[in-house]
Amino acid sequence: MQHSVTKILVFATASVTALGSLAACSKKPDDSNSATVGITQEPAVFDPHTVVAAGDEEIIYNIYEGLLKFDHQGTLNPCLATEYEISDDASVYTFTIREGVKFHDGSDLDANDVVYSLKRAAGLLDGQDNVALVSELDSIKAVDVTSDGKVQVTLEESNTELLSYFTTGIIPEGYDNCQAAPVGTGPFKFDSYNPGLSVVLVKNDKYWQNGLPYLDKVTFKVCADMDTGLTELNNGNIDIFPYLTADRAAQLDPAKFNTLSNGSNMVQIFALNNSVKPLDDVRVRKAINYAVNRKDIISVTMDGAGVELTTAMSPAMGSYYDTSLNGTFDQDIDKAKSLMAEAGYENGFDITCTVPSSYLIHVNTAVELASELKAIGINLTIEQVDWATWLETVYTGRQYETTVIALTSTYAPYDVLQRYISDSDGNFINYNNPLADDLLRQIPVTTDPAARTELYHKVLGLLTEDACSVYLQDPTTITVVSTRLEGYYVYPMYVQDMSTVKLSGN
Amino acid sequence: MQSKARYLAGKIIELLLTLLVVSWLVFAAFSIIPGDTARVMLGPNASEAQVELLREEMGLNRPLLSRYGSWLLGLITFNPGTSYAYNVGVGELMAQRLPVTIGMSVIAMIMVILVSYPLAIISARKPGKLGDQICSVIGHILFAIPPYVASLLLILLAGSVFSLATVGNYVKPSEDFFGYVGCLLLPSFAIALPKIAMSFKFLRSSIIEQRTSDYVRTSKSHGLSDMKILIRHVLPNSNVSSITIISIILSDILGGSLIVEQVFNLPGLGRLLLSAISRRDFPLLSGIVFYLAFITVLLYFISDIAASLADPRIRLK
Repeated sequence: MQHSVTKILVFATASVTALGSLAACSKKPDDSNSATVGITQEPAVFDPHTVVAAGDEEIIYNIYEGLLKFDHQGTLNPCLATEYEISDDASVYTFTIREGVKFHDGSDLDANDVVYSLKRAAGLLDGQDNVALVSELDSIKAVDVTSDGKVQVTLEESNTELLSYFTTGIIPEGYDNCQAAPVGTGPFKFDSYNPGLSVVLVKNDKYWQNGLPYLDKVTFKVCADMDTGLTELNNGNIDIFPYLTADRAAQLDPAKFNTLSNGSNMVQIFALNNSVKPLDDVRVRKAINYAVNRKDIISVTMDGAGVELTTAMSPAMGSYYDTSLNGTFDQDIDKAKSLMAEAGYENGFDITCTVPSSYLIHVNTAVELASELKAIGINLTIEQVDWATWLETVYTGRQYETTVIALTSTYAPYDVLQRYISDSDGNFINYNNPLADDLLRQIPVTTDPAARTELYHKVLGLLTEDACSVYLQDPTTITVVSTRLEGYYVYPMYVQDMSTVKLSGN
Repeated sequence: MQSKARYLAGKIIELLLTLLVVSWLVFAAFSIIPGDTARVMLGPNASEAQVELLREEMGLNRPLLSRYGSWLLGLITFNPGTSYAYNVGVGELMAQRLPVTIGMSVIAMIMVILVSYPLAIISARKPGKLGDQICSVIGHILFAIPPYVASLLLILLAGSVFSLATVGNYVKPSEDFFGYVGCLLLPSFAIALPKIAMSFKFLRSSIIEQRTSDYVRTSKSHGLSDMKILIRHVLPNSNVSSITIISIILSDILGGSLIVEQVFNLPGLGRLLLSAISRRDFPLLSGIVFYLAFITVLLYFISDIAASLADPRIRLK
């Protein structure tokens, strides 16, 4: 009797333990004409005009299209507009609208849709109180249809730098429900959104570019963090995973995954609050610049995958970037020490670096900076705060001494630099140089391209000369793509273009 | 009969008061931490004007106290409000996530009971003998493994060594019930491990205590078999105290599942809670915390009632 009791008990225990290992059978290879992209930022906004967060842009790039569109090399190409014309004084932009384009709801795209969309983005519709949804388009005064069916955009004042903002999504006239039911002209249609889980897009059969897209379905799946994403990749649950570090990407099986990379067009900055002591002294800021070894920072944070920066712009900006500034702040501890002594800080000082804890790269950078700055007697204390706190206290409140962050921008050079105008919302480092203000205000009204490039170079030169902060690197974007897919390009901005992706060998 | 009703009424008032205090705590914590919901949603590149527009639109410019008031009012009328970040009803969002958290808790609890009872009975039969010692050592080891460490080990084993597909691949119960249970087995196991140990240790000492009591000897002298004594007398008597321990374990499991979800990438309440905190989504955050507090308090409430039913002496306290 006792024996059988034991048997029953042992059996019960064993069967439960076995349950765990019974979890499931192995996964069969996926041959459906679809792809899953892992994302670490939960999407929240699907309205093309209210989208500001980079994570949201990634997905809706596939749903909405603007008059113009960037490609993976950062070139601005015609999209819903076939041609554009800018008046000599750059105050009127005229667009010729592409014919034969259909919205996802089946209606045809015409000039009125473009007028509605641009007005909505610029805050010109009735009841919008003139508050632009897309702040850069705030300077639009009027949007009209010309007698020959073109769309004419009139600005309050000359602005040569507005073109890249006409990538703003075009939606059907009168449509105001983009948040719940996005309708655009893009290669993929919005299918469903499960908050915190996934966003599903399906093929737009009537897409105006012949043959595109290839895939029937694209799922954007939310992963809690980079490590869960890696697990999901290994288990075959996701096919594409962007923003990996080089060492994580190297852990993956090269037979199953291709590792692709591109510049990110981001500027990682060790921001120094120019209005707090002792950082208000240009000699101190220069000393810090000379004390920093950018190469080591890139190797610690990105395993070497990054481009060193000494100025406020990424080299990805082409001719606007000033190559003569390269190497301005190569590490020179002696020079740094003498600058510190000159400023009266030969014994160094204590300072706090407030970093957003959710960004490992910035936290690691701060740690490396702390060890490098010891050489000139600066004792850097790292304070980690969550993203919401960082935004309120550091970015908008400017209550900080130093921080580490990456500045993202669209592909517009002016977008990169306008934050350094002293009264700009984005001037969280409190940079204040009337000469730079003046130069920056000249840029949009300068119509001669060569003169404009010259102005950009002058501003960059000033920013470096004033050592307004420490520019560190343009971190490389590393994306892994399953070998079952091909045709994926890494964009130098927060975008996952799925229109060119197809199954390998098809 | 009247004392029973009074006991029940007292417990219900206690439950309501606890919930009210919880809502104050959530509210107080939320008013202290910095962070602006609208700014978090729009990110650093948005202009002040855009942020202000959204703030106005979402009613964030109203004083927090008035927002708390309308939230509490909404709660009483069973309308927990709309999430700022997702723009979806809090109730709807939570309902989508509940199957994960509840499912994991239930499966983990079943595992705890199915494993700890047999082990405790084996152990308690001959205390100090080899079987008991092996079980106890295993119990000690299991007790020392926190759920997130167990999760990582299990993911490593399942994903890399056995290449199982269930890790991180959540299936909705409405689509495939067995797939749903399957994908929750490993995370549930990770939560259950230390609780198995806890329940085992408790039951074991309880059974040993009961077995040495007089009524067992009397029953034995009456000629009852060991099995009968165990099932009819010893276990029911151990149960009285295990009701309490099980309610504690159940609320622990609920808490543990919040962490394990994150590791296993499961869309449960825990991840929703984290995103509500990081986005400063007050309606969602308070909704979830309030719900979890409600479940926990309710569990203790039920266990008190159940214990009083099983043991009439408890009622008199």
